[in-house]
Amino acid sequence: VSDLDLSRAWLVDPASGREGPGDIVVTDGIIEAVTWLEGSDAEGIDAAGVVVVPGLIDLHAHLREPGNEDAETIASGLAAAAHGGFTTVCAMPNTSPAIDEPGIVAGIRAAAIVSGSPLELLVHGAVTVGRDGAILAPLGELADAGVVGFSDDGAPIRSGSILRNALAYAGALGLPVIDHAEDLDLTEGAEANDGLVATLLGLRGWPVAAEEAAVGRDLAILADVVRDVPSARLHLTHVSTGPALDLIRRAKAAGLPVTCDVTPHHLALTDDWVAGSRRWAWDAHVDPWDGGGREAAPYASSLRVNPPLRCPEDALACLAAVADGTADAIATDHAPHTEVDKAVEFGLAANGISGIETALGVVLAAVDAGHLTLLRAIEALTSGPAAVLADRTRRAPSPGLIEGALADLVVVDRADAWTVTREGLASKGKNSPLIGRSLPGRVLLTMAAGRVAYEAPTG
Amino acid sequence: VTDLIDADAAADVVVPSVDAAPESQTVGWQHRHLLDVDGLSAADLDLVMRTTDAMREVLARPIAKVPALRGRNVTILFYEPSTRTRVSFEVAARNLSADVTNIAAQTSSVSKGESLVDTIRTVEALGARMLVMRHAVSGAPYLAAEVFGGSVLNGGDGWHAHPTQALLDLYTMRSRLPGGSVAGRKVVILGDILHSRVARSNIWSLTAAGADLWLCGPTTLLRGFEAWARRGPAAGRRFHVTADVDGALRDADVVMALRIQRERMSSGLLPSLREYAARYGLTADRLALAKPGALVMHPGPMNEGVEIAPDVAAGAQSVITDQVTNGVAVRMAMLYLLAGVSAPLTAP
Repeated sequence: VSDLDLSRAWLVDPASGREGPGDIVVTDGIIEAVTWLEGSDAEGIDAAGVVVVPGLIDLHAHLREPGNEDAETIASGLAAAAHGGFTTVCAMPNTSPAIDEPGIVAGIRAAAIVSGSPLELLVHGAVTVGRDGAILAPLGELADAGVVGFSDDGAPIRSGSILRNALAYAGALGLPVIDHAEDLDLTEGAEANDGLVATLLGLRGWPVAAEEAAVGRDLAILADVVRDVPSARLHLTHVSTGPALDLIRRAKAAGLPVTCDVTPHHLALTDDWVAGSRRWAWDAHVDPWDGGGREAAPYASSLRVNPPLRCPEDALACLAAVADGTADAIATDHAPHTEVDKAVEFGLAANGISGIETALGVVLAAVDAGHLTLLRAIEALTSGPAAVLADRTRRAPSPGLIEGALADLVVVDRADAWTVTREGLASKGKNSPLIGRSLPGRVLLTMAAGRVAYEAPTG
Repeated sequence: VTDLIDADAAADVVVPSVDAAPESQTVGWQHRHLLDVDGLSAADLDLVMRTTDAMREVLARPIAKVPALRGRNVTILFYEPSTRTRVSFEVAARNLSADVTNIAAQTSSVSKGESLVDTIRTVEALGARMLVMRHAVSGAPYLAAEVFGGSVLNGGDGWHAHPTQALLDLYTMRSRLPGGSVAGRKVVILGDILHSRVARSNIWSLTAAGADLWLCGPTTLLRGFEAWARRGPAAGRRFHVTADVDGALRDADVVMALRIQRERMSSGLLPSLREYAARYGLTADRLALAKPGALVMHPGPMNEGVEIAPDVAAGAQSVITDQVTNGVAVRMAMLYLLAGVSAPLTAP
């Protein structure tokens, strides 16, 4: 339980749609006062300095426990989340064993308590037993155990009839089915986005059509289910392509109960990085094979991820989807891996980027470049994911800078850039393609449930 | 478009005296590794060609051996079965008096799960100073180059690159074409382009050398190459992609057929070998569309009767055995040039 007395900061409160100069006082872990400053009191305060935002919510993180504690544990994953400014984290169920029965949910909860972290750990349960796509997991028992969604992530729900039944059954429980949309027949053996970079590097391609086709199927099945079960809800996670986002945009306009998220790496990184580029997606394009566009060796396995890093047009489509609300949330898809699984040939490396600590910095880089407003970016990291979770976080009614609430907030200095280093990452997964890179927005303080979860070292 | 036999450029190329140790010479080679062809300039290619000339001269001697790499270990690490490329590198290294260590990955600890990184560190600790590597995964030599203290020569990685093959192909074309240059010559690569590291590497070297390059095959085996053909400035490094075999072969100066693998049928990319042979096989009738005396090439191993008819493979226009001999000379040249760069790094 801690105190904070911060005056003359830039406060961002997406729940009330408000941002501006203000003072914030936390006493004994409770937000005692939020004072918005106006007139001459507000002079000299802008959004480029110290910013206070509600604690971030990650819909999608792989914490690897149980089963792969060499890559991450609940404790190290929550420490990493706090470093990244997150105070609520949803653990994905592709652990070993999968989170497909209530006892495993209880074990994860216990690990979170033992870790001593003040962060809120939420859990998604598997859709099918063992995530093998054949038999529905005990969705009702998992719901009783407190899961906040169902997903076989790591793989798509391959069977259309299983998806249909899961949507209907989970809908009655008031929970979303979260699908990783990928047509596996089109992506067999795929190593990188199907495009010019893959062709030149001799990598097997992951076509955009494989995501678009799967999203189209999922939406058709959702439309079928909601006729019987209006409470059914589909959430499409880590959508990475413009055509798939267009389908989702149209489905939302037609009133289908679908939500989606995009990842920071799909907003900012492109397949050019696999060829050695290190330019943000929104920077002027430079051919990695021409005119000095290659700044690093090609085939860095830290860039191997599913869905793959796409072309700049898809990254810009992801940014546009966040900006216009087609994407409800930015979720990290934090996927820590060990050296054993990553320090290998690109084509043999495990898929995934350790990203929960760099997510805010990458999103702020997009804000700095003018592709998102600060308010919308923070909304997609707080109120947006809270709504996807139907506000099942402990921060009722919604995350915000609310007087009288337990402090769940992040203090970020946007004027202070920081360099990503292996040692600086609290995650056990050092598989970040951003190591060595400077990111805007150092997290100074993360408070969760009124306690200090992370505090930047001084000096 | 750069003409490799440009007289002014040629005057600047200092060709090493291959009887002397590489580190004692000042030649214009700057690259520590040979991982790909994409980073080689026209001047680099010219130096390789001229050094290969010198190696051809060594091969013509009664005792085809020079002491250039005496006492230096060349380790040949192959993760894919291969006879011709492995033996070609081995002969090349021995002709330069190097000590040669051969590791066939399927018989080493690799099959017990040792990582590539550990294997590279082990062969380096065993004395390897130059590493020739063949691997089924595209990009694997880049990982090797990150951990290996000496020079890495890519002997073929996945679908990505086969630099010494492209260099020996270029050398063979230059030595056989009238005028000694590929500039402006119509070169056709025919077959399974999609899965071919030979095609990818030849795109870089042949477009750098100014050839009029055509890639031809069934559309399923050309996926992605039309976009590659259109990239970059129109003035250079562009090439043609077509499924029309007759149009591609018409008035060609060089026709290179690529091997068709049986797996392409099971993955649905081709209906049958019979249909491929009928529609894309390099037969005498098809070859007649090319210029009289057009060169016939194949990187081997051949499926005779599928991508190339036996009478064409063995015919008067075939330079396929030349490719094999030139392969030894090109690999000698590359070992020699890389040794000149890597020697200071690994001196005891």
